[in-house]
Amino acid sequence: MINMSVDIGGINLKNPVLTASGTFGFGREYSGYYDLSKLGGIVVKGLTLEPREGNKPPRIAETPAGILNSVGLQNPGVEYFIKKELPFLREFDTAVIANIAGSTVEEYCIMAEKLGSLVDGIELNISCPNVKEGGAAFGVSAESVYNITRKVKEQCKVPLIVKLTPNVTDIKEIAVAALEGGADALSLINTLLGMAIDINSRKPILANAVGGLSGPAIKPVAVRMVWQVAQAVNIPIIGMGGIACWQDAIEFILAGADAVSVGTANFVNPYAPMEILEGIENYLINNQFGSINEIKGNIRL
Amino acid sequence: MQRMCKIIENRELCRDVYEMRLECPEIVQESKPGQFLHIKINKSADPLLRRPISISRIYRDTGCISIVYQCVGKGTEEMAALKQGEYIDVIGPLGNGFTLFQRKKSAVIGGGIGIAPLLEIVAELTDCDAYLGFRDNTFKLDEFASACKELHIATEDGSLGSRGNVTDIIKDIKKYEIVYACGPKAMLKRIKELCAEKNVKCFISIEERMGCGIGACLVCACKIKEGDAWHYKKVCTDGPVFEASEVDFDD
Repeated sequence: MINMSVDIGGINLKNPVLTASGTFGFGREYSGYYDLSKLGGIVVKGLTLEPREGNKPPRIAETPAGILNSVGLQNPGVEYFIKKELPFLREFDTAVIANIAGSTVEEYCIMAEKLGSLVDGIELNISCPNVKEGGAAFGVSAESVYNITRKVKEQCKVPLIVKLTPNVTDIKEIAVAALEGGADALSLINTLLGMAIDINSRKPILANAVGGLSGPAIKPVAVRMVWQVAQAVNIPIIGMGGIACWQDAIEFILAGADAVSVGTANFVNPYAPMEILEGIENYLINNQFGSINEIKGNIRL
Repeated sequence: MQRMCKIIENRELCRDVYEMRLECPEIVQESKPGQFLHIKINKSADPLLRRPISISRIYRDTGCISIVYQCVGKGTEEMAALKQGEYIDVIGPLGNGFTLFQRKKSAVIGGGIGIAPLLEIVAELTDCDAYLGFRDNTFKLDEFASACKELHIATEDGSLGSRGNVTDIIKDIKKYEIVYACGPKAMLKRIKELCAEKNVKCFISIEERMGCGIGACLVCACKIKEGDAWHYKKVCTDGPVFEASEVDFDD
């Protein structure tokens, strides 16, 4: 029997496969495809203090092996989530991690307080490229990452995961700042800022002009960043960015990730997380490893 | 549900417009007009996403569904090259679909590739007229002619029927109790106005760039009025069919 469980800064996951924020709603849409209790965890759609309608459509543009999105954090607000969505998620035996976004540090703190210990962990979204205020603005300088992490951590009753943006010069410096601010774990990467233009109308395809690139196209960038961050900090890492199959997931774990999140692949193949989980297990068996932790960071340089 | 479906037929109807017939008995059982299939054309990461394509006909006796699609890019071009006997990955039926009202005088109004999902409506209704608009090449006219009471056609180049827009050939909208429409946004907006003026109930099928197709990614947003307020609803699961009066086109 392979030991697939991992500890993400105090959150015990039965296996290392999670679903990435913004790609899995609040779980309902996928619950008809498989038993959500089989997942290591679910990271819910980004929540804000008040409900948000999000950006004007078009909100998606397909690019080679990827998609640009500019949803703009459409969500029903943290209180609605607690009352109407969380009870459903709690019917499943899986970790529930709330992704929170705000336009001020205070908003993040209030949300962390409201969520209390109702969820298993909080993911600090300081990397959303699609909102005018806040979002990625908090995530691009080491000083602001340190500050917001420290302040939210004070209010946080559950482990705090800081989600990093790749749109920075030195991701290691940002990771260290989050660690020093008190992060229990890190997740990376969020989307890469991108743009696509319709050459016939000569307009950007996205109504918001720019958006976040995700999907297989960004995987090598994500693997590199996970590897760099794993060298720089000693807290657990949830790796993500273009994971579409189990081989991709193994790559991230070898680069230093403790767990992986499946994102855009859910849109193409609703069963992707289950297929990835099975593939990881078979890889461990075929290579005679007894636990997932034995391959973490286990690359030959 | 997700199924690998066998392609029974894949043929060109007119320039850049194709019809594909798929054997999918389980999907057929749950399908209604106005719903769509979400199709992964190949296993490759490029094009990455599934393609949402409206159901055009549901053949309950043979367990087949027909879809009519236009080649507009890489995905649909690859789809057009698929051969009879090959299998494709289908999720469906998705979306709410049209609710049909029998025994009410009805009309379907369609523009371009948007006429495709109207075909199943006229096949299922007993008292229905059709108003169809095309740029130049027409398709599926025989099937419409045999299934509906009156057939009115407009083409932009005047090659068949009246020259101009389909909305210009509707003489008397108020003789209908229900209108079902699908096509370009400008056409739907005009139909919404025509029906509102004469107090005719109207259902429209909206198209928007789509991601997951099952309501998780929130990219296919459509502005829907609710009282004095409005909300972005999901075209994939709240729609694609909405009552015309609730859709806000002024965005």
